[in-house]
Amino acid sequence: MKQASNPPSPPAWATRLLRWYCSPHKLEEIEGDLEEEFMYQVSRVGMRRARRDYIRHVMGFMRPFAIKRKPTTPSASVFTMSLYKHYILVALRNMLRHQIFSGINILGLALGMTCCLFIFLWVQDERRVDNFHASGDRLYSLYYTHSAHGETTAGYAIPYFMFSNSEKPRHDATLAEDLLGEIAGIQYATPYATSYELPWGHPMTFQVGETIHKLQGSSATSDFLKMFSFPIIAGDRAKPLGDVSSIAVSRKMARMFFDSPEAAIGKSIRYEDVRDFMITAVFEDVPQESSLQFDYLVNWEAASMGGVEFSDNKWPTYIQLEPAADAAAVQAKVRDFLERRKPEKAEFTVALGMQPFRDQYLVSNFVNGVPRGGRIEYVRIFTGVAIFILLIACINFMNLATARSLKRAKEVGVRKVVGSSRSHLIAQFFGESILLSFLALACSLLIVHVLLPGFNTYTGKNIESPFHTPASWAFMAILMVVTGLAAGSYPALFLSSLKPARILKGILRFSPGATRFRKGLTVFQFALSIMLVIATLVVSQQTHYVQTINLGYNKENLLYMRIEGEMGKFEKYAAFKTQALGMPGIAMVDRSSEAPHAMGFVIAEPIHWEGQQEGEEVGFKPTSVGFDFIRLMDLKIADGRDFSRSHATDSADAFLVNEEAVRQMKMKDPLGKWVSAWQKKGHIIGVLKDYHTHSLHEPIKPLIMDVKEYEYFGVIVVRTEPGKTREAIASLEKAYHDTNPHYPFAYQFLDQEYAKLYQSEEIITRLSNTFALLAIVISCLGLLGLVMYSAEQRTKEIGIRKVLGARVSHIVGLLSTDFLVLVLIAFAVAAPVAGYFMWQWLQQFAFRIDLSWWIFALAGGLALMVACLTISVQALRSAMANPVKSLRSE
Amino acid sequence: MELIPVLLMKRVYLGEFEEIVLLVVGMLDGEAYGVQIAHEILQQTQRSVRLNQVHASLQRLEEKSMVTSVMGDPTPERGGRRKRLFQVTAYGRQTLHDIQAVRTTLWSLLPDSLKTLPSV
Repeated sequence: MKQASNPPSPPAWATRLLRWYCSPHKLEEIEGDLEEEFMYQVSRVGMRRARRDYIRHVMGFMRPFAIKRKPTTPSASVFTMSLYKHYILVALRNMLRHQIFSGINILGLALGMTCCLFIFLWVQDERRVDNFHASGDRLYSLYYTHSAHGETTAGYAIPYFMFSNSEKPRHDATLAEDLLGEIAGIQYATPYATSYELPWGHPMTFQVGETIHKLQGSSATSDFLKMFSFPIIAGDRAKPLGDVSSIAVSRKMARMFFDSPEAAIGKSIRYEDVRDFMITAVFEDVPQESSLQFDYLVNWEAASMGGVEFSDNKWPTYIQLEPAADAAAVQAKVRDFLERRKPEKAEFTVALGMQPFRDQYLVSNFVNGVPRGGRIEYVRIFTGVAIFILLIACINFMNLATARSLKRAKEVGVRKVVGSSRSHLIAQFFGESILLSFLALACSLLIVHVLLPGFNTYTGKNIESPFHTPASWAFMAILMVVTGLAAGSYPALFLSSLKPARILKGILRFSPGATRFRKGLTVFQFALSIMLVIATLVVSQQTHYVQTINLGYNKENLLYMRIEGEMGKFEKYAAFKTQALGMPGIAMVDRSSEAPHAMGFVIAEPIHWEGQQEGEEVGFKPTSVGFDFIRLMDLKIADGRDFSRSHATDSADAFLVNEEAVRQMKMKDPLGKWVSAWQKKGHIIGVLKDYHTHSLHEPIKPLIMDVKEYEYFGVIVVRTEPGKTREAIASLEKAYHDTNPHYPFAYQFLDQEYAKLYQSEEIITRLSNTFALLAIVISCLGLLGLVMYSAEQRTKEIGIRKVLGARVSHIVGLLSTDFLVLVLIAFAVAAPVAGYFMWQWLQQFAFRIDLSWWIFALAGGLALMVACLTISVQALRSAMANPVKSLRSE
Repeated sequence: MELIPVLLMKRVYLGEFEEIVLLVVGMLDGEAYGVQIAHEILQQTQRSVRLNQVHASLQRLEEKSMVTSVMGDPTPERGGRRKRLFQVTAYGRQTLHDIQAVRTTLWSLLPDSLKTLPSV
């Protein structure tokens, strides 16, 4: 029969499936029953149906009762518990026996983790900015993109007066109002203009009775306080900025002038000695994590109708969408809102964009007309650095653990012989590294706790003890586990794979692969450190360069104060000048329409010149100064003459331009040619040598300068006599109070303000110094560990060599060469990479240092030297050891 | 040991299918195992049962201490695998008796009209 030749069998895959899912203690009876049933069915209904039935039965047994594994007996769990105890004990014993190695490991990891934690705190703080508004996901900033003649500019401040659809520009029209009226889906919209942003920004003076304070604030509409979560604690909640004379003030400001926030409501407060406001609301102090900082808000109309100054005739606008509105749809309608309203003959295109408000703080630079980059770049850089440093610390750990693994190989061998499975060993080693990383985390928490105040002053943040938020705890847990796993991975996987028979015979050697791996790690580690050192050197060189470059004027002993109040009147200013000049410590006094180190204003349209071609435009920095300005600033004149009171026409007809302006106007022989700025037309009397009117990020721009002593705005610049700053300030304060009694005397030193232009570079310098130092220290710790290990391994060899007459220097060389070669390779890897990145970074400066070879040489030399020192300490010790001792052992 | 659940349990719940399985285990008297029980149920009650159901109830009965099991000898028709042989425990027997007693009492209380089937 057929059956005999081909015995019936159930489908093999179904049996395999059963064996896979079924609990072992049930498998035998179930498999037996199924087979018996199968045989029975074959004889009854035939092979095909029996096989089908078999499959159905296998599927049928997929139930919990068959799948569930037999619970482990209590004695077994006691067994595993004691095993874990044993593991911990072994880990602790190992740590204590090799104190130096464990110390290096924990210290290295702790330093890396501290670094990570600080950066995490900083990044978290950066991300928190502007993220606290209740309707945050519906708040948008508008930005506008302007393209003309192939050039695209963009910004948040929108010059809406150009787009108000009428012949005469209306300066009171607001984009906010018109958007609300026209586009559905926008719930609120508000203009927002600060009084303090550059170029003309400054705090305003408020007065109640005899109390005078300077405070910074903004103008907005009532909508502003509905959109943003700045809670009102007293006064009118529905319409906090009801009419033109209303002002809302912060709790702090209310307390400065009145007893309590409630007491301030309804009181009047004098603004800039020109008008009175009535306090209608008091809001909670603006938290530090807000990018909008203001102590008061005045009604928008007060600003637009004059009386309250704000920075420019363009300003930012914020909108809030309806809860149900589709952002993309609104965006589409907003996009060409300005384009439809631009003047008919305008030769440019504009687009209006929406950026989520919460992103604005981190992403506020524009590339090709869309927001991209900004502080987010620092966040990214530092996150990268944190990962780098942690990586270096992890590599230390791996390297040391791998090097020491030979010592523990016997333990592994014995464990394996006694019956430990590989997974147990892996778990044991991972457990050990996580234990170490836990200890390291504890250390680093301690360090963070101690250093936090210092860190705050360092970065200008106000981070409070961070360990209250679940996010921080989660981060630390992840940090610990990831570090433990990363650091322990190689030892765990490598050690557990060793063959017990070979280990116990004692013929274990590192395979060339393992040695190469360890060397590779060291190279990587040092390459990262060298890269950080190069970055530090370049950044600090560049910072030094911008601080010390010859700006074309003398920035020492210069101070300036804002022209405001009575000072805006010419005769008062003149009186002040005369009085001050006669007082001790003061060398010269003059004025300028802009602070001379940071001129922000650039404009092209109103400026014309002799020989200008149709459609030709040059962006000028215009400034109006007094007669003594050139001498006061110590500016050099390349051609022609300075302004002079002895030339009657100089105040009405004379212009100075700089060399760059001459170049860009393509003028030959500029002296005597006519130029005009706005309504004023005159002749060039002299050409100034180019000097830096703003930060070195930008190239020198064309400059046009005239004499206007009667402007009501600008700054008074004072040159003090060297070494007599104190007297000069006292004199100025007296003269100032005599002239301008309603304003507090406030002044800035020009050199300090100049340094502030490079604040972010300053912060980077400081941080990269720290990080580079840390990276080097951690790498050296690792190197030290490796050298110690290698010296220990070669104790006997060294002893024999010494007995045979080797000199100390020879032995030191023997121990060091290998490692120094690694450092050299690391340098060869790091130099080009770092060079490329630093070249990129320098591109943001128009005036920058060259990446000269000595920077790289210094970084490499430094790394080599530190490595040498580290190595030689141990190498010398081993080389000097008495060979009798080393050879006597065993 | 086996007494404890008896004392603790006030009322033992036995499902209808479990009761049948228990009865069949008793009937087979020491020779009861999965396939055999399934076949016996089919034969005696014309009820087609699936093997996994039988195994599941046997496990439940064993958890309730109504049956015990030992591994038997390997047999060729099972590919040399052993079978698990079930036996009713004293507690299982007691439960069967209790159920039977309840049934008898209730049966005796039925009115006579219900005791006889209507003649067709």
